[in-house]
Formats: sequence, structure tokens, C-alpha cells
Amino acid sequence: MSSNNQNNRVWVGEKDLTRDQEFLNSVDKEFNDDISLLEKAPELSGNRRDFLKMLGFGVTAATVAAGCDIPVNKALPYVVKPSDIVPGVATYYATTYVAGGDVEPILVKTREGRPIKIEGNAVMKSSTGTSSRAQASVLELYNIKRYRTPQIKDGGVFADSDWATLDKRVKSALNSASSIKFVTNTIVSPSTEKAIAKLKATYPGVDVLTYDPVSYAGMLDANMVDFGKRALPTYHFDKAEVIVSFDADFLGSWLPSGSTSSDYIKGRDIFNSKSGKMSRHFQVESHMSLTGSNADNRVLVRPSQIGSAIAYVAGKIVGGGGNVQLPSDVKSKLDKVANQLRAAGSRGLVVAGSNNDAEQQLVNAINNAIGAYGTTLDMGDANLTKKGDEADLGSLIKQLNSKVVDVVIFNQCNPLYDYPSSGKLAEALGKAKAVISIGYAENETTNASTHIAPVTHFLENWGDAKASESKLYLQQPTISKIFDGTRQLEEMLMSWAGSPMLAADIVKESINGDAFAGQSKYLSSRLFWENALQQGGVSSSSGGSAVYSGSSISSLMSRITKPSNSSLEIKFFETSHMGNGQSADNPWLMEMPDPVARTSWGNYLAVPVGFDGVRTMVGYNELKDGDLVEVKLGDITYTVPVVQQFGMQKDTVALALGYGRTNSSPLANEVGVNVNPALPISSKGKIQYFRDDVTVSNKIGKEENFSCVQYHHTYGVKAEDEATGETINADEAAAITATYGLVKQGYQGSITDRSVIYTSTLKELDGSIAHLKEKRDHAEHLNQNTIYPYDEFTADKYSQGHHWGMHVDLNSCTGCGACTVACMAENNVPVVGKREVSRHHEMTWLRIDRYYYGDLESPNVVYQPMMCQHCDNAPCENVCPVNATNHSSEGLNQMTYNRCVGTRYCANNCPYKVRRFNWMDYTTADLFPANQPGLGIDTDVPFYADDLTRMVLNPDVTVRVRGVIEKCSFCVQRIQEGKLTAKTEGRRLEDSDVTTACAAACNTNAITFGDMNNKKGDLSKKLDSPLNYIALEEINVRSAVTYTMKVNNRDESLDA
Amino acid sequence: MTLNQLKKSVLGLVLLLFAIGPIQAQPSAEAGNTVFRNYCASCHAKNMKSNLTGPALAKAEENWADYPREDLYSWIRNSQGMIAAGHPRAVELWNQYKPTVMTSFPNLTDDDIESTLLYIAAVTDGTWGAGKGGPVVGSENAVVEEKSNTVYYLLFGLLLVLALILSRVVNSLAKINAARDGKVYEEKSLRDTLTSRGFITFAIFAAIVLLGYTTVNNATNLGRQQGYAPEQPIKFSHETHAGLHKIECQYCHDGARRSKHSVIPAANTCMNCHTAIQYGSQYGSAEIAKIYASVGYDPLENKYIENYEDLSDEEVEAIFKKYMSTMYVQAEGIDSIDAAGERLADEQWDGVVESLTRPGKDKVYGPIEWVRIHNLPDHAYFNHAQHVTVGKVECQQCHGAVEEMEVVAQHSPLSMGWCINCHRQTEVQFSDNDYYNSYEKYHEELASGDRDKVTVADIGGLECQKCHY
Repeated sequence: MSSNNQNNRVWVGEKDLTRDQEFLNSVDKEFNDDISLLEKAPELSGNRRDFLKMLGFGVTAATVAAGCDIPVNKALPYVVKPSDIVPGVATYYATTYVAGGDVEPILVKTREGRPIKIEGNAVMKSSTGTSSRAQASVLELYNIKRYRTPQIKDGGVFADSDWATLDKRVKSALNSASSIKFVTNTIVSPSTEKAIAKLKATYPGVDVLTYDPVSYAGMLDANMVDFGKRALPTYHFDKAEVIVSFDADFLGSWLPSGSTSSDYIKGRDIFNSKSGKMSRHFQVESHMSLTGSNADNRVLVRPSQIGSAIAYVAGKIVGGGGNVQLPSDVKSKLDKVANQLRAAGSRGLVVAGSNNDAEQQLVNAINNAIGAYGTTLDMGDANLTKKGDEADLGSLIKQLNSKVVDVVIFNQCNPLYDYPSSGKLAEALGKAKAVISIGYAENETTNASTHIAPVTHFLENWGDAKASESKLYLQQPTISKIFDGTRQLEEMLMSWAGSPMLAADIVKESINGDAFAGQSKYLSSRLFWENALQQGGVSSSSGGSAVYSGSSISSLMSRITKPSNSSLEIKFFETSHMGNGQSADNPWLMEMPDPVARTSWGNYLAVPVGFDGVRTMVGYNELKDGDLVEVKLGDITYTVPVVQQFGMQKDTVALALGYGRTNSSPLANEVGVNVNPALPISSKGKIQYFRDDVTVSNKIGKEENFSCVQYHHTYGVKAEDEATGETINADEAAAITATYGLVKQGYQGSITDRSVIYTSTLKELDGSIAHLKEKRDHAEHLNQNTIYPYDEFTADKYSQGHHWGMHVDLNSCTGCGACTVACMAENNVPVVGKREVSRHHEMTWLRIDRYYYGDLESPNVVYQPMMCQHCDNAPCENVCPVNATNHSSEGLNQMTYNRCVGTRYCANNCPYKVRRFNWMDYTTADLFPANQPGLGIDTDVPFYADDLTRMVLNPDVTVRVRGVIEKCSFCVQRIQEGKLTAKTEGRRLEDSDVTTACAAACNTNAITFGDMNNKKGDLSKKLDSPLNYIALEEINVRSAVTYTMKVNNRDESLDA
Repeated sequence: MTLNQLKKSVLGLVLLLFAIGPIQAQPSAEAGNTVFRNYCASCHAKNMKSNLTGPALAKAEENWADYPREDLYSWIRNSQGMIAAGHPRAVELWNQYKPTVMTSFPNLTDDDIESTLLYIAAVTDGTWGAGKGGPVVGSENAVVEEKSNTVYYLLFGLLLVLALILSRVVNSLAKINAARDGKVYEEKSLRDTLTSRGFITFAIFAAIVLLGYTTVNNATNLGRQQGYAPEQPIKFSHETHAGLHKIECQYCHDGARRSKHSVIPAANTCMNCHTAIQYGSQYGSAEIAKIYASVGYDPLENKYIENYEDLSDEEVEAIFKKYMSTMYVQAEGIDSIDAAGERLADEQWDGVVESLTRPGKDKVYGPIEWVRIHNLPDHAYFNHAQHVTVGKVECQQCHGAVEEMEVVAQHSPLSMGWCINCHRQTEVQFSDNDYYNSYEKYHEELASGDRDKVTVADIGGLECQKCHY
């Protein structure tokens, strides 16, 4: 397949490739007014008389308001000013994001004592970025549903209590108990372990049961057998040349460590290694995961065939495999994968997401056989962030039922939601004498407890986290406790153990005991402690050692999952932002679309899309986006909406974990469905994330609030079929033509003909670069032939001072979405809720467009972060009647909210569709609450309604009111701050002075922001690449954002 | 009036002006005020009634009345000399105040001293300060620049007279014309004129213009509070601190150089001086007690009170009343507290409680709630550091002569037009700051002389997103 003339052939989704009339109607419009405002909000309807009434009232109100006195503002200075706080200047603290087993070193930006933004801690890890979950964690600090005082259940109802009472009751319960179960997610903190040991010393009946919301038990057990260590390896994706992943979503949520994606991208840095050195990534999976979407080649198998696929490759590489049941085409593909893996030797790497210990042992055997241990992965310096075994929960239920357990303590975990047998567990809990929940906010488990001990947020904590054998991170409080009725876990445990201690002392003692003794750099423990706190932790040069002692693989073959022959299988997957619902009550994460399916606010059944070979895409069961279906899993039936997903194995559907909470924040309750109860548990007690006994009904209805942003703000255009004269979708025509040659090619204006996305394979790179140059020259030629002498006019305009620009490397972008959350946090972007998203009203300034390219059924994916392009010849600026948007001398497209009167002409004229209109009062700034939309479906709570939530607002950014347009400002507040720093220091501005929130949040440095006039800066270096292009360059808007061509290292021999 | 007459009168006027020009300088209370502020006020109380470092001056003249006037002069010029010479009054004072030495002021003239004495007398008998220099309270008395409109009224009157004369002339000419043509001239009555179409049109037009102008003007002024000078919980005098004692603005407002906020100082900043200065020159212990009560400092013991937050209201009251009484006794020079003193302490304590408590805050302990004077709308971003540290703008340029304000008033309108205007006129300190090196073209133009200055507007200082984001 020669692709030189098709390498910008991309599509957004199924509707792009069909002649969908609804889609054709909507592509013309910036705003989707099919869903009329009045129809959806009858309270807003009115007639002429109402209008006159309102007008009269408005005029009177304005007059009265004008006659009123100006309010008297008060200013409260400190009594004694802390030396490290200057009001108006941000203070940063190094601490660590810890949620269950997820650990990330971070920097926390505080203003006047309030944490408002999370940044990555580049001192402690290889990149400055963060995950989307860490980025959003600051909002949880201000969760209005937090427990503020201890709660004791009396007669089935919780009542506020105090610590003295709770401590007394807990102690007496523990004293009289002979068996106490302490149920927790993985504990990474040595201090917590010491506190638990103390508790154990006082109450010998304490037994710790660890499980993880998403299980890694199979892998842990496998490593226990093969290495004698119940831990996970540390991966070095940057050193791998061939990566084979069996259903492991390592760029998404599988084993998030922060450096996985940056390492992975380092190995694929086409920018610095045009020589052609780029790792090749094979993903063997059934459903399009975030990692799979970044892979060069995908091998599609059914979920139950993953084990067999591992076994097959193991047999090829290690030998002694025996006969494995797999379709022959899969086998031939896996043969090629195995060959490349063998050739890569120690530069190969195999990972698997399977929760079957035999399959994980096979993976270990492969990695050992190719000699990968020591180069691309390391069991010596083991990763300690997962330690759970859900089998313990199974035995807990048995023990509870036989009444041998007296007290159960749940430590910040939610097994009544995320453990499959949660129903049985809930029932069994009734037989315990006391159930104590150490909890943060209401959830399914705290609700079933007898006592609730409210715990502090990690940003209020002292603590430590041993992420791997060589890395110990520290936590320090970034704010004093917001609610006095909360207490830190370690303090609770120590006080129950009868030796109360301050958390800071516990941590300090622990650090000085172990880590200080193990180093020689600092002479005094005080210096060591202070330096470690300032840096965010300590890392020693080496971890322990581990020797592979696995047995022959033939014995393992009998224990792998047997492939199923059923007609349909279902895959349960974790999305990168939602996980298994740990942060489901976080509105930022709820609103963030799933990077691949682009759905938000709920889980949607992903069904495969097929191509009929002519011009039609066939959905499974003829299901279309937004159709409601019934999914029957054993005796549970779920009603879920459908989303059509490219790149799925036939006869497989997929559904995400983490939704459908019942006793959580009102915004998360009943949003989506909880699939945890449907997860099967294997005979060894391990949760399996697929099933083969699933039936999906035909369409039973239509989802009313289908919150998929896939088709919002697309560039699609209509065209006329020359043969038939009918109106068709130009993208469809071009995309399908390229393969099948049925319709005329090159419809002007279609995405495929415009420069939105350019792609290439590594092999064809030279040709693609030439093609790109040709296209860019042509665009430049078109732009020169304008009646307006643009170049003359602007010759001097940006010749001095700053000229801000951005470079987005599509090869580095994995689509994880951390930047979109960072943007919301930095710029006070409101959350609008499910109903509003379904009406195309999402307010995100930065969206990540996901395009498919390549094969129609199993395409590759390119992610394109799209924000205001700050065009120097901006079409939006010319059409504003009040000059509310205009251009600065530094090349910024400025949006002035106070001038905006809401004509929305600018949004209609924006070719990139990046301008957002405040249709409703999302920020609750109005006097009258009628226009404030609630989050979710059944809740009336708008996002910013509570002062506690408002504490997260960035005080340097205006909160926008209803009726104005807003959009990406290139984080102008950060630009101004950076300029001021340079000015006060009397020096030239440097790259490090200014960066945008999105660029800072990116783990893979895909976004570079800077001054284009600084010829020595990072941005100028990146602007040199021949892979660069400007989106829609031919329309002469002179945008300030440059993208790179997406290059993959696809092995085309697998396509055959 | 003939031309000659006009010439004479103009000449006379000019002569008159010259005659009253060089007035002989006479001792005056005004001049005395200046001298007092410059030389005396750091040691002597401004109310002339309390003893500070130096004695109260109200009775100074009286006490020296037995000696020649020159003795008082030379005492003020060189007190140590007189003590050495053994002047009885000098020795008496020395015994009372030693070892504190009064600074010598050899450069003061007799007139200076007389002026000062006049000023002291005026303050003592209360004739000073009524109307001038006294505390400005309330926004009504705000310092607003008044433009003289007299010229315009005169001009308007002149034109009106001219118009009347002209109309008379036209009328007469018409009459003459009519008479020549042998017609009877019908004179228009005032009523006819006022009801004529032209006049009504003109009147309506004028009314619309006038009303529109007023409405727009008032609307733009909504929310602006130039001259706003609210009463503060502590009668803190910038005149005393910044003017008299010349404390740097940024000593207290330490955010101005490094933050967007200039920062109202924390109470512990006050304590840097007021651990030592326990009695104010104007209000005695009344206002300083508020600082102590806010931070929990016992001035008589010279230490911070332990567990201050946990003390009962009565205990706190006792501590500070004791301080107030002690200060009263010292100031009055009496041996023990009298009824007036007790009453004063009661009043002062009530003042402390009123200033430091509010609904939801019962204890006097805690932050002082100041009234914010300079308010910008939330959508306007202003950064002090940019103006103070980078732009090297004097505080007074926007805030006015704060060092002369007893009660601070908002000096500038803080309107967008006012900001923009300054950005248009203000020159950027281009050569001193390497940051501006990136403006190569401007540097070239400055070097070649094509450009004489670079204003803030030239580097984008008028753009929306310099202040609104």
C-alpha cells in the first residue's frame, strides 16, 4: 500500500465513514442547536409578555443596584506572618500523591495557604509530568462530602460524635476481640506499617488483609515463585527495542508509576533519532486500550485467548510449549512477533496484564529467555506499589460467616464496591461485633460500618511512600487540617494502640531509623530530614537483587486460561482516569473523556465495528452510538448505552470498571453501572477481568444524555458525490476511496484533504517528509496569493520582544489526558455535568482529538491535543463586534471577558472549533440560581456552589460568568508571572521561566511552549524538524501552534 | 471706557500685585508647624499635653516666663551648653530628664522658634487644626481636585450678553428697515420666541445631550471611590509614621516589592517598634493597646502573654487596663490613678473591644480587620512588584502624599482610563534592565536617535491581557 498521497487520511469515528444524515447536518454548525435550549429546559421558556416583564425588572434592578452603596471590603492581615508565605505569591511544597498503591512524587502549588495545583516533581523522577488522577487529586481535598467528624451508628443511623467517644468505643471493641481483620489496599508507607505493628503489639488479634482495587495478585504470585519476592519488576521501556504487551495497559492505568510513559516515549523519539531507531510495540489484546491505540501493530484475540497467546510465544521462544489452541492467522502473526522478540534479545520486553499466575510465569520465562532481566526490566530494584491478594477477602467472608472474626477495620478501601462478592461480604459483615471504617468520604463500605473514623487528605498529611526498593518519597502537609474532626491514619492507629504520637514524629522517627542509617551523604539526621523533605524523598543507587529460578514451562501450560468457544465475550477494562472508581466522586475526572472512546460521565459498552467492503460500517447487532442495550452477565442484567469502537476483536464487547457508585457523592451515584459484581473469581481466588457467558440484547432504547464528545467540535464537511449528485460526507468519501477507489478523491475541505493530521510509517518517512514539504509549499503558495499583503503588514510586528508559540509532538502524545485536567485546574474551567456535555456544552479549553488512520477495521490511532492556535491572522478577531477578542504584540489571541457580549460570531468563525460559550451559569456567579445546571442527572448541585469547592480556584484567573466566550489563553497568567520574574531579576527571559499548565503536566514532554523569538530556546530547536506542520495551514490563519507528523513503526508483514 | 482708562487700570493692577508680592516673613503658626514636624515631633508629643521622650510643651513658655526670652532661644539651640553654664531652669529640667539629652538645633532662627511657640500655643488652646491639617473623616471631605469653573461662567455670561445685544441690534435694524419701507414692524413677544419651533427643537436637543452626558458620566463612575477614606479599626496615622518618622513605606508594606499585593502588615510588624514605643503622641495608649490586644503582648511586663488564646475576657481586660492606667499616671505625672484615669481606661478598653471583635469573633485576640480602601474589580489584575520593583514607580504617584494623610484616602480614581493614560506617558527603564534587551529594534532606534523614549504602551502596555485574564 503506497501511502504517500494518503498519509493524512484520518477519521474520527463511525459516523465519519458512513453517510449519516444527522452527522451531515451537524457538521456545518459550530453549536449543536438540534437540542434546543428551551426544549431541554422548559423553565426557561416564555412569551412576549414575559420578555417585557423581565426587561422592566432588569432595568429597575439595575437602577436600584446602581443606587446602592459600594460594599465595604475588609482585609485581614496575619497576626504573626509566617516567613515562607507572601500573600499573592505561590509557595510550592514537595510531597507525594498516594492513593492506594498509586504513588507519584509531586509539587503542590499553594496560594495563601491553599493548595490549588499539582505539578510533577522532576527532582524525584524522570519527567515533570503527572497522571490525570494525581492532577485531579487536589480537588478531592475540597470534597464537600468529606467526613468532618467521627460517626457512630446507632439504630442504623449515623450520628456525629467526637474522637474521645470514638476512641473509647474502638478501644473497648478491640480489647474484647480475639480476631481483628485490618482490611486495606496496598500500604506503601513504612511509617504506616510501623503504626500497624504497634497496633498488633497491643492487640495480638490484628491480622492485615491487603487487596488492590484492580488486582495484580497473579503477577505477584508468579514473581514469588520465580524470584522469591512478592513484588513487581521495575520497567525500563526506554531501553526496549521490541515491546510485546499482552493486554497490559501500561500507558494507561496498568502499574502507573509516572515514568512508564516518559520512558516509553524516550524509546520512540523520532525527533532526535531520525536515523530510524524507534522501538516497535506489539499489543496483543481484544479491546482498544490506550496502550493499544499507541501500538505499532495490534494482534486481536479474544479475551480468553490471551493466555494461549502468551503460551504460544513462550513456546516459540523458550521451547517446550506443546500444542496451543489459537486461530491460524493469529498464530502466524505471533510467529513474526516471536521472531522479532528473539532478535531483539535483551532489548526485548514482554509485559502482560493477565491475573493468572501461570501466564505471568510464562511471561517471566520469556523475559528470562531473551535476557531482558537487567536491561529492560529489573526485579532487583522491585516495584513495591502493589502487594494485594484478593483471595484474603474470600477467606474473610468465610471466617465472618463462621463467626470467628469480631472486628473488621477497613482502611480507606471500598471492598463493598470494588470486590466482586461485595454482596456476600456485606451480608457477612453483619456478623462482626464492630465494623470500623477509616474513611474520607461516604462510600459503600463506610455506609455499612458501625463506626467511621474520618481521615485526612494526603495533602494534609505527614507521610512516606516506598515506591520501589531504591525510592522512598516523603509527604508533608501543604495545608493545615481543614476540619479539626479529621485525623491522620497513623495518629489514629497509634492512639488506639495506646501510645499517641504526632504524625510528623512517626515519619521522622521512621526515616531517621532506616533511610538515614542507609546513607552517608548527610552527617546529621536533621540535615538529612530537611533535605529529603525539600526534595520530596530520597533515592538510593541500588535496590536488592533477585535471581530467576523459574521451572520449565511445560508444567505451566495446563494452568493457563482455556480459550472459550462461546459466541460472545466481554472484556472489563480500567480507564486511565477512573481506575476502579477510587476517584469517581471527582468531577474533573468524571468530565474528562475516556481518551479512546471519548465518552464521559459513565461507562459505555464498546462494541466492534465492521466494514462491509463497500461503503458501510456495520456495528455489532446493528447497534449505533447511544443505543441502550441490556447486557446479561450471569444473573445480573445491566442497561448500558453503546459506543461503537474501532479496533476491537469481533465477538467481543468491553465495559469499563469504576462507575455506578451507589453511596458516594451525588454526582457519581448511579452514573454508569458497576460491573465489579459481575467479575468472575478463578479457582485460585483471583479476579478475572473478562467473561465468556455474556449476551447483549438488541436496541431497547436511546440514551438521553449520550455524553460522548467524539463528534463535538469536529471539522467534518459535506461534499457532493459527482456521480450521483447526492450529499455525502467528504471525509467518508476520501477515506474509503483511498482503499477501494470507489468515489472521487480529494474533496476540498475534508479533513483528509486538509492538513489536520499527517502520518507516516518509519519505513516511508523520507517519502512522507517530501510529501509534507510539497503540501506545505502549496499551502504557502496559496497563502501568498492573497489580496491582503499580510507579510508586508506584519513584517515588523513580532520582530522584537516575545512571540509566543507552541509545539505539539504527536509522536510523544499518548493521549492520557493529564494536560486536560491540568488545564481545568489552572484556568478555573467549570465542570458542566452529564446533561450539558450531551448538549455539546463542555467547557474544556484543551481537548484531545482522537483520529483513526490505516486499516478500516483495525486502525492505528493518533491523538491531537487541540487548543486555541493563537493565529496571527485570526478569523475570530475580525468578526467580533465589540473587539472583545484581539491580538497582542506578543502574538497572543486575547479574550477579554468583560467586553464580550456573547454574539458567538468568533466561535462560528473559528476553523479549529476551540472557543467555548458559557451557555449556563456554570460557576454559580449569577444572583439567580435558575440558570445553574446541576452535575450528573439527578443532582441539583452545581460545581462551584460550595465555598469549599471554590477554594481550589486559581486566584490569578477570572471566573467567567454566563454569556461569554472563553478559550485557551496560552496560560497568560503564567506568561506574565514568568516575565515579571525575569524583569525583577533584570535578565533576559529564559525557557524555564514560562510554561503552560498542559506542557508542565505532560509526562512525555509532548508539548513545548516558548518564545519563538528566542532562537536558542527549546521551542526553536523543535521548530526545526522537517516533520513539522501547521494544522489547516492552507487557510492562512498563521497559527502559533506547530504539530509534528505522527510516525509509527508498523510492521506491515503482520497486515497480511 | 476709553483705551487710556484701560491702560491705566491694567498698570495699576500690575503695580498692586508687585506691592503685595514680597511680603516680609513674620512668625506664624503655620511655619511653626513645619519646624515642629521637622525637629521637635520625634521627642515631644503632638498634642503638647503628654510627656514622651521629652516633656509636654504646652507649658514651656509659661515655665520660662521668669527668664529672658533669649534664654529659651539658647536652651532650644544648645541645651547642654546652658546646663553646663548652670542656668537654674536648665539644671532643673536636666535633673528631671537625664540622661536623655535634647538634640541641639543651632540653625533655628529666632523667628523659627517664635513660630514654633505660636504653633504650640495654638495647639494647646485648640485653635489649631480646626479646618486645616486636622483628621479628614468620611468620604465627603475627600481630597478631590477642584477645577475652577469661573472662567467658563464668565465666558458663558459674556456670550449671553453678546447674544442679547446682537438680537437687539437685529431687532432695531429690522425696525429701521420696516420704517424705511413704510411698514409697521410687528415686534415678536418673548412668548412667541420661546414657543417657536426652532427654540423647542434646540431645547430638546440640549436636554438630550446634557442628560446623556450626565448619565454616561455617572454610569462610568459607578463603583469608583476616589477620595474614599473610611474609618479604620485603629486610628493609624500615616502622617506620624511615614511623614514624621520617615518610616519607609515598604518597611511595613513589604509585599509591594515582590508580590501583587502590597500587603497590609501583620500585627507583628507593628511590634518591631511598639515593643519599645508604648505610648502614642496622639492617642496615648488607646490605639497601641489594640495591637497588644491583637497579638497578646503585655507591655508592662515586656513579654508576650503565654496561652493568651485561653485567657478569659476578664483576665485580658485586667492586663490591658493596668497598662492604660499606668500610661495615664506616667503621662499626667501623678502618683496614682484617679477617677478620670479610670474612666479613660474604661473608654479605651471599650474601644479595643469594639475594634477587635465582630460577629463570630468574640475574643480580642486575632487578626485586625482593616477596611480595604483600594479596591480593584476582580477581573482586573494588578501587580505591585511590576510597578514598584521593575517600573520603579514611587508609591506616591498612585497613592498620593500618604505621608501627609492622617487618615488615608484613595488618591487616584483607579479607573481604567487612569491606568491607560499612565501607561501611555510612562517611559520604560529600558537601559537599566537586561530583560528589555529582546526589544532590539527599539534599542537601535534609541541609539540612532529615531526614537527618544519607549513608553509602556510601546511594549504592549495597552493590551487587554496585560491586566485582564
